[in-house]
Amino acid sequence: MSKNDPSHEFMESPFSLSRREFIAIGGVIIALLALPAVWVRSALINRNHHIQARTKGLYRDDATAKIRLSHENQAVMRLYRDFAGKPLSPVSEELLHTKYINRMKALS
Amino acid sequence: MTESSFILKHPLRVRVFHYILAASFLTLAVTGIMLYFKLLAEPAMNTAMQVHVVAGVVMTLDALAFFFLAFDRVVLFTKRTFTFSGNDIKWFAILGGYPQKILLHKKVDVPPMGKYNAGQKLFGICVLVGGTLLILSGWVLWALPHAVPHGTASMIGSIHLYASWVLILFLFVHLFLGIYMWDDFKAMFVDGRIPYEDAAEKAPLWVKNELQRLS
Repeated sequence: MSKNDPSHEFMESPFSLSRREFIAIGGVIIALLALPAVWVRSALINRNHHIQARTKGLYRDDATAKIRLSHENQAVMRLYRDFAGKPLSPVSEELLHTKYINRMKALS
Repeated sequence: MTESSFILKHPLRVRVFHYILAASFLTLAVTGIMLYFKLLAEPAMNTAMQVHVVAGVVMTLDALAFFFLAFDRVVLFTKRTFTFSGNDIKWFAILGGYPQKILLHKKVDVPPMGKYNAGQKLFGICVLVGGTLLILSGWVLWALPHAVPHGTASMIGSIHLYASWVLILFLFVHLFLGIYMWDDFKAMFVDGRIPYEDAAEKAPLWVKNELQRLS
């Protein structure tokens, strides 16, 4: 309806809201709406924080381990000597072979 | 002024926003209650979920459109709903005189109010805060449930639930009083106009301070 619409004789004054009020209140609204966006972004970035912490712990354990090479590990050597025969043997293949799954996307 | 004087209370863009908001929120409320109480068989529940999502998208687009196309109205509404005075406390003390009027058919003196009375201000705050929370939490729950930690998703689910209950319960009061104040109901759903006398009685401060006569 335009200002000259004969269906009504009164309307709200366009000066009900001063420019100062418009900028102040509008700024607060936009700032408050931005807060959840920041929070959601932070939650998305940290969603795999526990997996990253676990990975870091495993690397740290590995760095401080006394035996760091599998072919020097007495337990592994005993496994092949007494049970599996040798690496890539049929028994080793059946029990130890696994398929590759790219988990890097989940960690990014 | 004459008896036929009218005030444009709700401009067209406000009414269009309200039409879509009312239709989408009622759909969301009904399907949300169905989903929460598991009222239907599984196929019907799936359909209810789909309708819930579509209505949620419609409500989001409606809110975004109004936010960007009528930001001045958003600011004005926010200012009005968050502006309080002693009159609002006095209004709440007698609940705007509505219980006396409806139950006892007795008219009591009501403190002068602006465009929105104290109860409408409280409802307005719930709509602004609760509606925003509902939209944001709904989108995270629907589009990003696996992208946020389990604890966060659970918390967002609780926010969605509590905000929806508050708004659904308020909706009953809003609908009842909306229909009870028939001139206001017609203004919002028909032509946006309200009789001058009605506005002068219910919103004297608005009529006195914020209106201009069209020449």
